[in-house]
Amino acid sequence: MTSLLNPTRGVATGGSPRGGARAWPYLAPVVALLLVWVYGPALFTGVLSFLEWNLTGTPGGFVGFDNYARLFREPEFAQAAVQTLLYAAALLPFSTVIPMFLAIMLWQRPGRASTVYRSLLFLPVMVAPVAVAVAWRFLLNPLQGLANEAIGLVGLPPMNWLGNPASALIVIVLVTSAKVTAFNMLLYSAALSTLDRRTLEAARLERASAWETTRFVVIPQLHRTTVLLGLLSIVLAGQWVFTNVSVLTQGGPDGVTDNVYYRIYTLGFEFFETGMASAAAAIVLLFFGIASLGWVFVRRSRARG
Amino acid sequence: MSIPRSLSRITTVVAVVAVGAVLAMTGCAASTEAGSTENVSITFSSYNYGTAGAAGEGTQALLDRFAELHPEITVVPEAVPASDVLTKTKTAVAAGIAPDVVQLGYSKLAEAMETLPIQSIEDIAGDEWDDHVEGINQALVETGTSDDTVKALPYTVSIPTVFYNADLFRAAGLDPETPPDSIEEISEAAAAITATGAYGAYFGIVDTAKSDYVTQSVINSAGGAIVDADGEVTLDSPEAIAGLQAVQDLTTEGIQPAVSVDDAVAAFSSGTLGMLVMTTAVMGSIETAAEGNFELRTGAFPSFGDGEARPTHSGASLVILSDDEAKQKASWELVKFLTGKEGYTMVTELIGYLPLRADLATDPEYLEGYFEENTLLLPPLKQLETLAPYLSFPGPKANQATVLLQDNAVSPIVLRDADVKDTLTEVADRIRELVG
Repeated sequence: MTSLLNPTRGVATGGSPRGGARAWPYLAPVVALLLVWVYGPALFTGVLSFLEWNLTGTPGGFVGFDNYARLFREPEFAQAAVQTLLYAAALLPFSTVIPMFLAIMLWQRPGRASTVYRSLLFLPVMVAPVAVAVAWRFLLNPLQGLANEAIGLVGLPPMNWLGNPASALIVIVLVTSAKVTAFNMLLYSAALSTLDRRTLEAARLERASAWETTRFVVIPQLHRTTVLLGLLSIVLAGQWVFTNVSVLTQGGPDGVTDNVYYRIYTLGFEFFETGMASAAAAIVLLFFGIASLGWVFVRRSRARG
Repeated sequence: MSIPRSLSRITTVVAVVAVGAVLAMTGCAASTEAGSTENVSITFSSYNYGTAGAAGEGTQALLDRFAELHPEITVVPEAVPASDVLTKTKTAVAAGIAPDVVQLGYSKLAEAMETLPIQSIEDIAGDEWDDHVEGINQALVETGTSDDTVKALPYTVSIPTVFYNADLFRAAGLDPETPPDSIEEISEAAAAITATGAYGAYFGIVDTAKSDYVTQSVINSAGGAIVDADGEVTLDSPEAIAGLQAVQDLTTEGIQPAVSVDDAVAAFSSGTLGMLVMTTAVMGSIETAAEGNFELRTGAFPSFGDGEARPTHSGASLVILSDDEAKQKASWELVKFLTGKEGYTMVTELIGYLPLRADLATDPEYLEGYFEENTLLLPPLKQLETLAPYLSFPGPKANQATVLLQDNAVSPIVLRDADVKDTLTEVADRIRELVG
């Protein structure tokens, strides 16, 4: 894992100052691409956040921190930030615990049935996201949808799944979770195939039960995968729900399904408030930058401890 | 079998020269054609094009007919969702690939006039202008005027009307021959229909495309307006509050389902909703759904209080963005056809929008026969004469203000029982701050 996350280790440094110079020709193409496609646009976004511009005309000039001030005055952005955190928290089990147990169960019972189950569970990843969202819109129709027909069979009253602020966010999370769980299950399956067989054999010789083997041998070896997927989930949850929010609720009702990414899209490409959208993007970048630094600090402190 | 290197070079040179010659000839052709409409290709961005049902099929029929009349003009249609017209067009303009002609919704027109390079149709039409606009609803022509010149011509215009299910009326003991014409009568009829187990009424006021035409129709009919003559925001006036309060009452009394417009249209189409107050633009699809299912009828938009009903219109105009002379002339030919007698007739017959030339409805050559057989459009056609102009918030952030009104005021008031006065006051203040 370390070598993947830090490919230059052992190549770039090599313990001597000349090692860095030798690595640059190899790094240059990637660094150039990053400059063009990542750092350049990020810098441009930062500049735009201080301008008044509607995208179609010429920029209206430097407005200082006005765009930031307007963002903090608008209740919508603060709400979107809170909802983004809620999405991250709600999707976390669907991106870690649930796919891990599904993968372990399928791994423990190899065979044709397991392959079929794995394929079926992976199916949501391959279906076009908009098509899935549209299908859910029909299913969740409060007046004629199958979802209400189903709960009606057990005597429950019909629900306005997407129109009720109490249920809309949960529905978006559940609809999104199918794809996230399916994809992460595949990553866990890949991680399971690299387990140290000797530890499993040792557990068998010690007459450990299936649960004990899973709890004390398998899950600890999936720790790095779980941490990675957990971090990705926290960072990307708002982006994963984007399509479903766009098709099913447009951030409503009352902003409960909004998140910072959809808000940035709305500001930038519906209202053409390019400056405000850029300011929002800069704030998001700053937040995750600080969070990442905090994470690195915690890890280093632990390593030293 | 390999080709000798020298021959290969010759082949390459010939190919390059040939391609260059073709490109040069094409360039010459294009330059000689400037100023005429010979062999010109234009793009047409339309939110009706490519959609399922009457709107998409009708638009295709219009383009087919135009191609017959003008084989020298190639129209390349571009489908775009109604709610994304302004944003997609702005993006295309920013990217330098603006469509030549755009079907632009009236709720986005004010902002578009300030932010898009919309050309003066009046200037492009030149000598043909006066003859062409004679007979078109002048209130709508005025709506498309900016900087003392007409930049948008009405194309697919509709007004909200009351669709009702005559079968559910009979089942509820109501007389379908006398549809409700006030909000009080709608409330009474909805209560009677709800008592039979069906859904009562639905005002399509929380529009999916974030348009406020029903909101304005309600507020206008209650005696108010979203802005006054000076452009001041007045949507928190007592009249506006009373209008939206009446619509909210339908929900709180349990005779209007608190669902989205799409869900309500689906319910009405399946015959389980008694009344649907919505644009006549959905006439075609609702008629198809009702066929063999229930008896569909229409009534005029209801009055609110003592005054008469004053609905405004929804729908779209046509604007020209192209700054190329040849494309402008070709675009004018398309706009002229679509807003001409034949075009408007096809728009009414095939899609269900209202005819915007009053004389067409009684002209045996055009729509007289159609209206004798199709009476559903007669109530809104009659109200077209007393149409209230569609109003926009002032400034380049008009669209953002409309979305704020719909999302932060109308939706919570009508669907989620928010306090009408407090909500409208708060949103009106935010819109005042936004539009300056």
